[in-house]
Amino acid sequence: MDNNRIFRRVGVILALFLLTISIGVPLLLIFWQSVYPDGQWDWMAPIRTITGHHLSGVLLNSVWLGICVVAVTTLLALPLAWMMAKTRMGEHRWVDVILMIPFMTPPYIGSMGWILFMQKGGYLQQWLPSSAGWSELFFSFWGMVLIMSLHLFPFLYLLLRDALIRIGGNLEEAGAVHGARAGYRFRRIILPLLLSSYGMGIMLVFVKTIAEFGTPATFGRKIGYYVMTSEIHKYISSWPIDFGKATSLASVLLSVCLVMWYMQSAMSRKFTYRLVGGKGQRSKRYSLRGGAGWLCGVYLAILLILSIGIPYFSIIAASTMKLRGSGIAFDNLTLDHYKELLSWGSVSMKAIGNSLGLSLAASTVAVIIGTGFALAIGRSSSFMQRVIDLFSLLPNTVPGIVMVVGLILFWNSPWMPVTLYNTYGMVVLTYVVLFLPYTVQYVKSSFTQIDGTLFQAGQVFGGKPLYILRRILIPLILPGMLAGWMMTFTIATRELVGSLLILPPSMQTSATYIFAQFEQGQVSLGMAMAVVTVGMTVLMLLGIELLNSKRKWNAS
Amino acid sequence: MLGMNTRKKSAMLLLTAVMSISLFGCSTGNSTTGNAAQPAGEGNTAAAAETTKPAGGKLVLYSAGPQKLADNIVSGFTDKTGIEVEMFQGTTGKILARMEAEKSNPVADVVILASLPSAQALKADGLTMPYPEAANADKLNKDWSDAEGNYFSSSASALGIVYNTKLVSTPPTSWAELATPAWKDAVNIPDPTLSGSALDFITGYLSANGEKGWDLLSAYKANGAAMAGANQEALDPVITGAKSIVAAGVDYMAYSSKAKGEPLDIVYPEEGTVISPRPAAILKSSPNVENAKAFIDYLLSDEAQKLVADAYLIPGREDIEATNRANVKDIPQLKVDWNWMSEHGEETAARFSETFK
Repeated sequence: MDNNRIFRRVGVILALFLLTISIGVPLLLIFWQSVYPDGQWDWMAPIRTITGHHLSGVLLNSVWLGICVVAVTTLLALPLAWMMAKTRMGEHRWVDVILMIPFMTPPYIGSMGWILFMQKGGYLQQWLPSSAGWSELFFSFWGMVLIMSLHLFPFLYLLLRDALIRIGGNLEEAGAVHGARAGYRFRRIILPLLLSSYGMGIMLVFVKTIAEFGTPATFGRKIGYYVMTSEIHKYISSWPIDFGKATSLASVLLSVCLVMWYMQSAMSRKFTYRLVGGKGQRSKRYSLRGGAGWLCGVYLAILLILSIGIPYFSIIAASTMKLRGSGIAFDNLTLDHYKELLSWGSVSMKAIGNSLGLSLAASTVAVIIGTGFALAIGRSSSFMQRVIDLFSLLPNTVPGIVMVVGLILFWNSPWMPVTLYNTYGMVVLTYVVLFLPYTVQYVKSSFTQIDGTLFQAGQVFGGKPLYILRRILIPLILPGMLAGWMMTFTIATRELVGSLLILPPSMQTSATYIFAQFEQGQVSLGMAMAVVTVGMTVLMLLGIELLNSKRKWNAS
Repeated sequence: MLGMNTRKKSAMLLLTAVMSISLFGCSTGNSTTGNAAQPAGEGNTAAAAETTKPAGGKLVLYSAGPQKLADNIVSGFTDKTGIEVEMFQGTTGKILARMEAEKSNPVADVVILASLPSAQALKADGLTMPYPEAANADKLNKDWSDAEGNYFSSSASALGIVYNTKLVSTPPTSWAELATPAWKDAVNIPDPTLSGSALDFITGYLSANGEKGWDLLSAYKANGAAMAGANQEALDPVITGAKSIVAAGVDYMAYSSKAKGEPLDIVYPEEGTVISPRPAAILKSSPNVENAKAFIDYLLSDEAQKLVADAYLIPGREDIEATNRANVKDIPQLKVDWNWMSEHGEETAARFSETFK
């Protein structure tokens, strides 16, 4: 027991140290910059910025968008999670991988796909000229909510499905034995058990939404809906640059997210239950026959068409067009862009290689550090653990670009004995910092639901700490680690905002390559790159899924 | 049984992977500082060696504008001098943001921007290094470059009305015409906070027309004109036919798309327009000064000016003409005041954004 405590304490201290240098200090430097704008101490500067820029409207826009996206992602993800956890549909493992596609698609590419499809003279109107009225309906706030929800729902779905599988069938059966009807069982058994995961999921969805930059920049600008990130990005990437203002706005965004985090962690503490115990669990799967089966199938089909079908139709169509001005026609099709893209030794191939290498390195480091953090956080019982929890979540609550600027300020400052900036290592570090929250969340979510008696049992039977770690802890949190690894890998392969600022000159990743092609007017080439990178990631994930297809919770 | 085995196997596989990776992770984690010192140290010694030896070595270039042109210029320069160029390609805004982030530890030697006022701002902030003895500098257009040699505009683009030829049969001939009902909801205008050339047009138009210049811009807004990102983002919907016209579109993009076969063309309105120069400057903080100077010399050479003309841009040197596009003498120009434009850029961009939000 004492050994354990020492281990834990060392872990906590190590975690705190790592978090301080990778996240704490860079953010402090940002704050410093905001109150020390022109070489002069001016603590009023952030407050002046906030009151002087009609900020309340933009802030409300952000929050309202976040709330609506959370509502719509819930509507999309919850029924699906139930189907995949509780019915025979869950045997179709490919669905999970396919559903990662929206999340792997760079948000601005997804939005572009929708815009190309729905706009005046777009692909839909080329088929159905009578659909012109829909275009106006679509280019509105609700269109933006739909696009962002379709991008983010897989994330919530995965969390909910895993939670539902962990809940297992026993508890529900117990309820049924005691005469509870389905509705009552859902309300009194499933829902409370689900709340902790759901809270975590919606907090991340909310935070992702209000910290998202791609969709507001492409779609939001078209409909005149401005949010915090677009304002921050404006100050940070267009002339005249004003980090002070940007950081002031960022601190407001940060506060909103911290309030969310507090609410979520309070809820999670109240509603966390030990679900993975020593006893085996059987999970009952309903076989779907007749109307119910059809309903589920249709639901899944509509979801897939909306989240993948339409945007990818546009993306692929755009990537195979000879002349973008000629629209969809057979004599306008070409594979030249792919040929150019995939010719050996080209800039684009180097960019793909860079992306894969960086993402592999970053996701692997992130999983190791993130698992360590999640275990150090444990059940967030002590103050220090809560501090680690908060810090490891910060990169997800600060807009990526602000975090990146903080990292640059820190790793490129003149008083640092070594400058990591402009090296490969800096890119990996940035990715790790940006995506650490995913691993921490996933592993934490697995870990908090393991019953402590399992470890006690291991000790009673004489297991040494390392043995317990290897045979009890790691197998049980492995799915969480894997999910975190996959998440980090997929997002890192498409990370854009940070890469634009942090890549050494002459180095490109697939995302910056796509972005550069758009900037240069080579939309088709950019879209082809999007298809290639997303396709590659899907194949890789399918491979992992196959390797791992026998994974089961508490297999009895 | 079989299931159990594969499960065990894959778990073991992952575990070994995780363990070996964790070793790797620890070693990199502990020695980030140690490892990073090496490349940084190498960089420094290399830089020190280069400053004494002009030929060979490297140059760090931040360049805004057409990538193909930048690539061609870089490879031409490397062929000629043997100097390796590391290039960061982005918009003017991104480059300035990167410079700001690197303020305490600058790495760039030369910047090429797409907006004259931002180069003037660099000079005013004391960030540029004068190089008055640059070869061929005397042949440059005087209005576009600094008399003291702080920046050299090696190319320029003119702003015009770019239109989709499938949708527009009789193109508008004046800026005022775009505010008429015929063009309701059909016009895109680039965002001046993102596009240096769009900002040049708007401030240029205002400097020539005074406060009443805003009447035209408000009339655009009232007529449903949309502010749409940087230049390419504003142009793309016109290519695909969602919009008909870009007001104040950069002409080289229109020319090169037209050459590809897209249904595009451009007119320069009769009231006159703004030609937006693209200045290059050596940074005072440059670690490779000699190479930077060699690069500026190359930019102003006949060879590089020919590359500029091939990219449908206006060559910066007055003695060289482009054959594939309208040259300076063919384009009606507004009487603009670059100093006024430089001073009022920020507030104009802000007011424009407010108007078009």
